[in-house]
Order: sequence, then C-alpha cells, then structure tokens
Amino acid sequence: MTHSLHRKGIEKDLKEDYVVLAMFAAGINDKYDDSRRRFIRIGEIMKQNNPVNIMSERAWKFSPTITATFDDIELVKKVIHQLKREDLGISIVVSGLISEIKNILLEVGLNIHTVHFSLGTFGDRKKELLPNDKILEITTMCGHHTVSPQSVTHYVELIKKGKTTIEKSAAKLTKPCVCGIVNTARVIQILNSLVDN
Amino acid sequence: MDIDVDVCNGCRQCVIVCPVQAIQMIDNKAVVDEEKCVECSVCYRDADCPVNAIRRKKLKWPREIRIPFSNVIATHRITGISGRGTEEMKTNDITNRYGFGEIGVSIELGRPGVGTKFRNIELFTTRFSNIGVSYEEKSPVTSLLIDDDGHINEDVKEERVLSAIIEFKIPTEKLPQILEVIRKVEKDIDTVFTVGIAARIDKNNTEDIIHRISHLGFEVRPNAKINIGLGKP
Repeated sequence: MTHSLHRKGIEKDLKEDYVVLAMFAAGINDKYDDSRRRFIRIGEIMKQNNPVNIMSERAWKFSPTITATFDDIELVKKVIHQLKREDLGISIVVSGLISEIKNILLEVGLNIHTVHFSLGTFGDRKKELLPNDKILEITTMCGHHTVSPQSVTHYVELIKKGKTTIEKSAAKLTKPCVCGIVNTARVIQILNSLVDN
Repeated sequence: MDIDVDVCNGCRQCVIVCPVQAIQMIDNKAVVDEEKCVECSVCYRDADCPVNAIRRKKLKWPREIRIPFSNVIATHRITGISGRGTEEMKTNDITNRYGFGEIGVSIELGRPGVGTKFRNIELFTTRFSNIGVSYEEKSPVTSLLIDDDGHINEDVKEERVLSAIIEFKIPTEKLPQILEVIRKVEKDIDTVFTVGIAARIDKNNTEDIIHRISHLGFEVRPNAKINIGLGKP
C-alpha cells in the first residue's frame, strides 16, 4: 500500500497534513499473545492526541494496520514521543513533509529508518483525464481513490446554493475512506477556496 | 456492480460517488457501464441508495480479479491484507526488505482515479525483466506474471481495475535504467501512474538519494512516507 504517499498540494498546505500508520510485520510481530493488545494501545495513543481523522476502533481489533491523520506536527511529535516511551515494538510510518518529520524525530531522539519518496504522477497521454489540482488535493488524500472528483464538484455546488454547509460536505467526502487518512480539516480549507472561486 | 432499474428512483447518488464515472443516467435511471466499472463497491457502501437498488453480483474469472485491485475492503488472497500493495517499506525496520545499497520501486498504474487495464503492466514488466529486477513476491501484480520475461496472464489483460502496483527491488546502480524505462513508457501508456522510490537511510541523510534522483531529471516531492524505526521482531 502506497496509500498515503502521493498526496497533492504545495508545501504550505502539506504543513498541516500528516498520517501516522502502525503496521504488523505479518508472521513476525503479530504472533505473540499480547500483539493485538500492544497494537490497540497504539490506536489509543493516536486517539488521545486529537487526530482530525482516525480508522474506526472496530477495525483495530482485526486490521493489520491502524491509521490516524493530524493537522499539527506538534501533535505528531507527542504521539511519536509516547510511542517511543512505551516501546510497543510495532512499525510506525509517518507521512508528510520530510523536513518537518526529520525535525521532530531529532527532537524526540529517533532516526529515519527508511523513506518512501514520491516522484509524482506520470502519463503524458492521459493527464487530461485528471481533475484540476484543487480537486486532486482532496481526492488524493484517499490513496485508494474512494473519493470521487464529481462528489467534490457536487458538494461545492450545493454549498454555493446554500443547500449544505462546508463542514457537512467535508464529513460526506471523508466517509468513503475507511482508513481514516482523509484530512477533514484540510478538506474544509480546500472546499472554502473552491467555493470562493 | 448492478443497479436494478426497476427499483432505481433516479436520485443520482451513485453517479456522484462512483470514483471512475462508470454510472450514468439513462431515461432517469442509473445504469452501470460494465466495461468501465472496476468493482470497487464504493457505490454499494457510500451512495446511501434510498431504495436499495445497488446489488453486488457474484463474479466469475477473470472479472473477479477486479475486486482485490479496486475494493479497499477486499483482502487479497496473496498478500493477506486489504489494499493493492504489500508491507513494502512500512515494516522495513523489521524485515530489512530494502537494505543499504538497494532501492525499492513502486509504480501504481491507474492512480489517481483513472484506472487501468492489466495489459498496461506488461509495458513496464517486459522492460524491467530485461534489466533484471527482484519482483516483490507478495505483490498481487507479481502473482499475475507468468514468465521471467515479464508477461502477464493472458486471461486478465483486458480487465480494468482502479489501480495496480508493480513492486520490485534493485541494486541502487540500476536506478538510471529503471527511470529511463519510466520516461519511455509514460509517452505511450493509456493511463496515468505514480512512482515511488524507497531507500534505507543512514544517519538521517535523505539528501544523497534525493540528489541522485534529481540528477536523473526527476523531481522528488517534499512529502514522503517515513519509517521511524520503532518496530521489533
């Protein structure tokens, strides 16, 4: 799954967009009696630190991953600090601006182990099929692409006509992403700019 | 997916949520374009159809292959996890899948949101196999390769999915050849694709690999996925 890797946006907007993921290494650290308890503990730590979105707690009981989304790097720092202190032994991946993540790791006393870099989107003949960049900023927050471009357009039109609110629209747009990695706060910001234009 | 036109009330909710625009209104009824539909089930889960007109059909081979490559909830029988990829670098602090001097490459065809037919995979894999790469054994795409030349199962070539990820590992020195293939294929392929490069990092030095990629004419995005090394066996 490269699902939190290719999020669109300029650096300024990405400063408020981080995904923290915990994952079992199958057949290695998921086999112990207390493996699931330690895993669920990670979900609890994520939840205690005010994520803007998080995978449903029901899924923590069986999923090999838990994901949560934050709009503030300081909250990510708190999560990582607590995870380091509790030493739960589960792999943790943070997605977001490399420079910002590097800084908080230094502060917490951790080093980068492995990086997955994005080189972006390719395909000369079919790039015209992509929606505009602002819509892509919303739809690419779900790496499984469950958020459709026309649903963004639909809600922008409804908001402009006064038939719904930006907050309700953001909640609707976030719903298809079962991983909880669509940044609801960022969706609200982007909807605001789409409505203004 | 199937929509019962006798039941459909024409509310268009399924048309709005479909990620690949495979549902259109005909005579005020929602109709699924079977060719375009990737069987992701987003309409079934999220359209909140007020009259329950959306049905999941029992699919046969090869059409059934669309499900694990499109439906985020479906667990792939090869990887054992939901989604289209693998653990890749996410558990590298435990598996050491990518060591120093090695690069992990992920190419996701059809992303974001355009979709792809499986035949597009061969445009890459036949060339990569010539170069010599180690395909990720647990990748769903690798399971479709039928020979060492990078050909894929003939049955599935015309099947359309939301996305499919080619995952492999190379010695770092082969990176220029891989990126050259990407430049060639992007001119001809009838979909879009994203490219990811995974690398083990020593002493927080991300600049060396970024410089190496940039030197080959590719831009590295400022946001990435970072494994912070807290995993233990």
